[in-house]
Amino acid sequence: MFRYIPTIPSKSSIPLESLLSVAGLIGSPVIHQGGQEVGRLVDLVCHWDSEQSYPPLTGILVKVGRRIVWTPADEIASVSARRVQLKTARLDLRDFQPRSGEAKLIDDVLDHQLVDVEGARVVRAADLYLAVTQGTVRLVGVDISYASLVRRLGPRRWRIRPSLRAVIDWSAIQSFGQIDTQNNLRLSASSNELRRLKAAELADLLEDLGRTERQELLQSLPIEQAADALEEMQPEELESLLRESTPEAAASYLAEMEPDEAADALRDVDGELREQLVARMPQPAAKLVNSVLSHNETTAGGIMNTAIITAKASETVSELNHRLGAIKDDVSTAIGVVVTDKEGRLLDNLKFADLFLAKPKQTLKELIDSPATPHTVHPDDDIKEVADTLIASRSTSVLVVDEHNRPLGRILADDIIDALLPESGRFHFPRMFS
Amino acid sequence: MTRGLIGKLKGSRSRFLIGLALLGPGLIAANAGNDAGGIATYASAGAQFGYRMLFVMGLVSIALVIVQEMSARLGAYTGEGLGSLIREHFSIRMTTLALGAFVIANIGLVVSEFAGIAAAFQLFHVSRYISVPIAALMVWGLVVFGSYRRAERLFLVLSLAFLTYPVAAILAHPHWGSVNTNLFWPHLLASKDFLFITVALIGTSVTPYMQFYLASAVPDKGIGPQEYKRERIDTIAGTIFACLISLFIIIATAAAIHTRAPLASASQAALALKPVAGPVATQLFAIGLLGASALAAAIVPLSAAYAVSEAMGSERSVSKSFREAPIFLGLFTAQIIIGAAIALLPGNLISTLINAQVLNGIITPLLLVYILILANKKSLLGKAANGPIFRTAATACVAVVAVLSVVVLVQTVSGWV
Repeated sequence: MFRYIPTIPSKSSIPLESLLSVAGLIGSPVIHQGGQEVGRLVDLVCHWDSEQSYPPLTGILVKVGRRIVWTPADEIASVSARRVQLKTARLDLRDFQPRSGEAKLIDDVLDHQLVDVEGARVVRAADLYLAVTQGTVRLVGVDISYASLVRRLGPRRWRIRPSLRAVIDWSAIQSFGQIDTQNNLRLSASSNELRRLKAAELADLLEDLGRTERQELLQSLPIEQAADALEEMQPEELESLLRESTPEAAASYLAEMEPDEAADALRDVDGELREQLVARMPQPAAKLVNSVLSHNETTAGGIMNTAIITAKASETVSELNHRLGAIKDDVSTAIGVVVTDKEGRLLDNLKFADLFLAKPKQTLKELIDSPATPHTVHPDDDIKEVADTLIASRSTSVLVVDEHNRPLGRILADDIIDALLPESGRFHFPRMFS
Repeated sequence: MTRGLIGKLKGSRSRFLIGLALLGPGLIAANAGNDAGGIATYASAGAQFGYRMLFVMGLVSIALVIVQEMSARLGAYTGEGLGSLIREHFSIRMTTLALGAFVIANIGLVVSEFAGIAAAFQLFHVSRYISVPIAALMVWGLVVFGSYRRAERLFLVLSLAFLTYPVAAILAHPHWGSVNTNLFWPHLLASKDFLFITVALIGTSVTPYMQFYLASAVPDKGIGPQEYKRERIDTIAGTIFACLISLFIIIATAAAIHTRAPLASASQAALALKPVAGPVATQLFAIGLLGASALAAAIVPLSAAYAVSEAMGSERSVSKSFREAPIFLGLFTAQIIIGAAIALLPGNLISTLINAQVLNGIITPLLLVYILILANKKSLLGKAANGPIFRTAATACVAVVAVLSVVVLVQTVSGWV
């Protein structure tokens, strides 16, 4: 069921037996130089640093009597599974002042959600493992096995024994709650790894994370990547994500999404919030979204993509290529050029492949099949009719035209699949009639 | 521009549906308390002790409002379900204790939902050995194969039959004077039976499953601290509404049934609807019972499976396979099987129903302590944490419930010896 990751010892060159269980350390005696117990370990503090994959221990929190006291790492002689040995003979009674980039392992990380970036999934830390490398204690791995949960229920000798059936190397982990409050920078090393995840994988992560964690994850992503991930989310999940985000943030994600996807998402939020969000979107994006929103979602107009590239038949291939090169917007859904006559009426749909093979001097008119037979639908056509047209066309998309045969948008095969497939996903708490 | 739900619903009949659509998780959660166990308990309380039970129900209502408000607040401010909150803020042993108790309480509820289905079909002269296995298979299949959503609406509509209780109560011409004195002035009895029904009443009203459900449903709807003011009104109003229905069930039954003995059968309970439905009272009661039980038979085990998988950090998706979400789907399946099997054991269905509520009543205070500790935490809720007055009131509530539960537990266990 779980991946055993044998890379731990090789990657961090740590012998397995020297791993320390953080869960097992809770309540361990803290011994001063003279060999007497001064208190019990309450928590361990690590420093998150973008330079280092394995966060170093910066200190521990010790319960002395009824007080909780901070002891920095340089006063610790050794940490073992059963005790923490201090270098000093006495303990300064200092309170813990969290510095930016520091996290408490037991309070903030253990039992909390983490992202396993390599496995592209959300996990909960059943245990954390420390190791001593070159005199520094570091956080090196996270245990996500259920066996470790059971182990922690048992007596002390079970709790301190690391179990290595499902351990993930810390360098592959994205943790939360470690935003540098002063510079508002993420300090976790693996955030760069996050950017390599696919949109669908990120969408799954966003769905599985709790609210604060997913907002943190979203903010750490470049906006284009965040928008791509949002497009892949389940409608209900996306709806609650948009509601819980600030209107400004939600509007900026929506503006970055494909107009048809953004419109789809906006249909799910209630009228008041929808108007707020559209009002906060930049003008061109808001206009495109509004034009999709004005159509019913079960019709061609409601699922079409309005970001299409149009060209006049009189244009030459080189003129068009020049113009295409200057387009700065995302054209990933444009799979061809819509060719129109002087009055803007549709003549044909030209695939990029046709353009690629054409000579620069040729006009688009010469490239059009004669007679041109683009497959089109009208905005009010039902999705079923659109699907039939697409099947008949043997193409990957159909064009939407108005009553004067002017192109309005394009529907891709995947838009139809989305519209026809029943929704399914995480169990949702029922809402009456909505 | 007003497409979506309201755009789709046109005509005057739809006004009603729009009204229902605006009711949020607060009402659904509280109204879900009026399930098979709830109906049986309220009806039995009314039949056995008449209006005397109203004062207790009034107190239970206040407790329920306090507890539901805390749960909704935890959900709105943290964005997490109680399963996750307990795992993050309590030790692993305390987490196991809470979730173990929750699962046991919920299995009790699943038993009562299937007992409710059995009782409903018995009113149509269908044996429980036929109805329960088929219902269990259907509920399981609908959830696992993903067409539950549509069925859920049907069940909800069926369960609306119980909204006729207030009308029935009024048409039954109860003695309003004694309703009033009993509601606002305690007429308690120091008997074992009275205490037993009191704990059943607590168990069926302040069911832990409703708190878990609400705390998860609120953030699931995207409700955060900004929207919480509105959600709080929704939660409190919904809870009060559900409690009023419960009060009317007690009044209607107390006015219609004069045996002053424990409820013997579902057909006897159906007598309370006679003033409103006349000759079809039994059928109306059966339809309502079927809808409410079938609705809860899926939601109750799903909530427990959800809370446990949330706490364990495992997949909790109904669209995943057993291999991908073993804990979630396994727990859900296990609860349905165990629940249906126990409901098939020979015995009086009404007493099975009430015993399951007592089990919930005994477990409730344990879980309320967790909710109270979480809602008191400033480090978790900041300014939204319980203030001194609220904290005192909530603590008093939990303490009273705990004492009653312990007494009933001791009585029950000593009865066995």
